[in-house]
Amino acid sequence: MNDHFLLMVIYSALVSLVFAFIAKNDARQRGKYFLYLFCCFVLLSVLVGWIMFPFPI
Amino acid sequence: MDMESFPEQTEQTAPAIPVHAGVLKTCGACFLGMLVPGLGHAILRKWDRALVFMGSITAMFMFGLCLNARLFNPDFSDIFAILKFLAEAGSGLLYWLCWLRGLGSGAPAVYTYDFGNVFIYTAGLLNMLVVVDAFDIALGRKP
Repeated sequence: MNDHFLLMVIYSALVSLVFAFIAKNDARQRGKYFLYLFCCFVLLSVLVGWIMFPFPI
Repeated sequence: MDMESFPEQTEQTAPAIPVHAGVLKTCGACFLGMLVPGLGHAILRKWDRALVFMGSITAMFMFGLCLNARLFNPDFSDIFAILKFLAEAGSGLLYWLCWLRGLGSGAPAVYTYDFGNVFIYTAGLLNMLVVVDAFDIALGRKP
């Protein structure tokens, strides 16, 4: 399992799931919050990855 | 002004009054939640949360081990060693059982070493957050 993106997606899904169940009480709200967090994790990670391409730390 | 002009107000039900679980149950939920992820919620009969927390945190920890992460020893020599140990030990028995069995020796040369460490740190830190959530539920601060 050497795929960076796959590992990042698994990590995002698990963390988003826990946060959704901590933060919300209703099943529908949990689902929406999970999707929101998951998309934020993945999209922002890809964005930061592209920004680090011309500006490496 | 009569009450018939506001029928929606008369039909409203009173919000559920949060119930304090008791000192013993609160302490037990927090203590067992620290040992096994999700067990504190199971004691408070929050079955859905208990299952999700147990499954997610255990999966993160196991993923970390499979990715050749290192389980740091209880080392209090410098601040980073303490923080790494505390983050990993937050997983409770998952950490201690694996550490006692000698698992998680770590292989820094392996490609996924850092990923695995992040998975295990996060599992421990999430479990700490889950214990705080169980504490809030036991005190009746949230449903």
